[in-house]
Amino acid sequence: MSAALDLSLRDQAAAVAAGELGPAELLEAALARIEARNPALNAVVETFPERSREMAAAAPEGPLRGVPIVIKDEWPLPWRAQRFGAAELTAPTAPGESGPYRALRDAGATIVGVGNMHELGAGSTGAVSYYGPCRNPWDTDRCPGGSSSGPAASVAARLVAGAVGADGVGSVRFPAAYCGLTGLKPTFGRSAMEGHHMAPVTTTIVSGPLCADAADCRLLGSVLCGEELAAGDAAKLRIGVVRDAVFEDATPAVRDSCEEAIEALRGETGGEVVEVWLPDLDAAALAAILTINGESLGGTTPEQLNRLHPEISPVARGTLKYRMLLPAAATVQASRVRTMMRRRLAALFEQVDVLAWPTVPAPAPPLEAPVVELPSGTLPADQANVRGAGLANLTGIPAISVPVGLSAERLPVALQLQAAWGRDELLLDAAEALERANGRRWVESWPPLAEAGAAL
Amino acid sequence: MESAAPADEFIPAGLASLGIEADEVDLAVIAAVHRFFWPAILELLALDTSEVEPERCPDLSKAPQ
Repeated sequence: MSAALDLSLRDQAAAVAAGELGPAELLEAALARIEARNPALNAVVETFPERSREMAAAAPEGPLRGVPIVIKDEWPLPWRAQRFGAAELTAPTAPGESGPYRALRDAGATIVGVGNMHELGAGSTGAVSYYGPCRNPWDTDRCPGGSSSGPAASVAARLVAGAVGADGVGSVRFPAAYCGLTGLKPTFGRSAMEGHHMAPVTTTIVSGPLCADAADCRLLGSVLCGEELAAGDAAKLRIGVVRDAVFEDATPAVRDSCEEAIEALRGETGGEVVEVWLPDLDAAALAAILTINGESLGGTTPEQLNRLHPEISPVARGTLKYRMLLPAAATVQASRVRTMMRRRLAALFEQVDVLAWPTVPAPAPPLEAPVVELPSGTLPADQANVRGAGLANLTGIPAISVPVGLSAERLPVALQLQAAWGRDELLLDAAEALERANGRRWVESWPPLAEAGAAL
Repeated sequence: MESAAPADEFIPAGLASLGIEADEVDLAVIAAVHRFFWPAILELLALDTSEVEPERCPDLSKAPQ
């Protein structure tokens, strides 16, 4: 039965629909695999077998009937409040039916566990969490990426074939890149967010799928968006490339793999590569951080910061306090930069269909020292990663991370594609075209922990 | 570019003015974060956006009007 877990998300769903697999069988296999593989990863921080069995038994007919899914520790479930990877949240939380929960339940899916995440969503590595660090299935001494670390590691290790993450500043795309997965950040407002403690105020965070390939992301993404993300063909794709630090200040392995992938995508779609100018990407990234900072701290009081839980990490504690000191003028300027970048992108997407650059400039760094060596020098991974990710959150456009290679250390390398508002489908089409172009080589590369012969 | 050194003075004072307590570890973290963020914030503030007509209540799910 464990072999069923190695099927794609869509094949698991098809096997259940055809009566070849039962929801209960699939669930028990997932629970057993979590028990066998998760101790090395710390990807799943909580299971609730009886609740999951109830979901599987009551699963309605739907596109994910009987398919086990991991959900990030960022949404409440009817039996569990989210912890946001932290000892405590300054925002009130309670168990409840969140939007992603309802979407999954109504699609017939079985929520099998809660995925680990970077503490308070405030990191791109997954190295810091109330539950302890999550580990990358490709190399358990490496960062899995964050903040949706557990969902990504769960899929990469084939504990499940699909997981739900959230992306406020790259938090679906970073772990997708580090773990060799496909991760979609939908257009702002398109995917289910109800129940998230920031849902009423956020202008940057979205839920998004993490899966092995684009077709599975299309299936899970359609469920989260409540509408079919219909397939097209990405023919004659106009690919915009920005010759800026976001592309050039990457390791040679990342740069070369991304260049090769862009050329393969151009060839597969009969399209063209267009060099475009998009200045102020660093300002856009910082503006995204300042925006989410303002939104997340809106209701925080000094009294709350003086009574933080003792198990909140020193970094999070200090950062929370520092964020209260940031000048309002910077937030106002972030808003202006948002407007400026949205207008620039609107004009740019008249010339090109997608923008392409590396999702992250270097493969997953060690958990013990999450820094990356780039042509410009040694940088904290968080600082390096945000450069290419913040734009989509600041402006609302959709983005996808697609695996395009393995480094010499056999760590995944990823390309990010971004498109105009509402063109999430085109990103999935382009990702599928890229898979065809490279013979699905990278989406079918499995980490050692999940290869044939691995435990369970 | 302004040095981060004045942070030694204004960070404790700023926290105190807000009534936020900070121990030595907090202050060390805050100083490190400040060194990272502050130059970038100054660059952001120096960016000329005077020509940018602000969007009123932008709909982030759509292109700007």
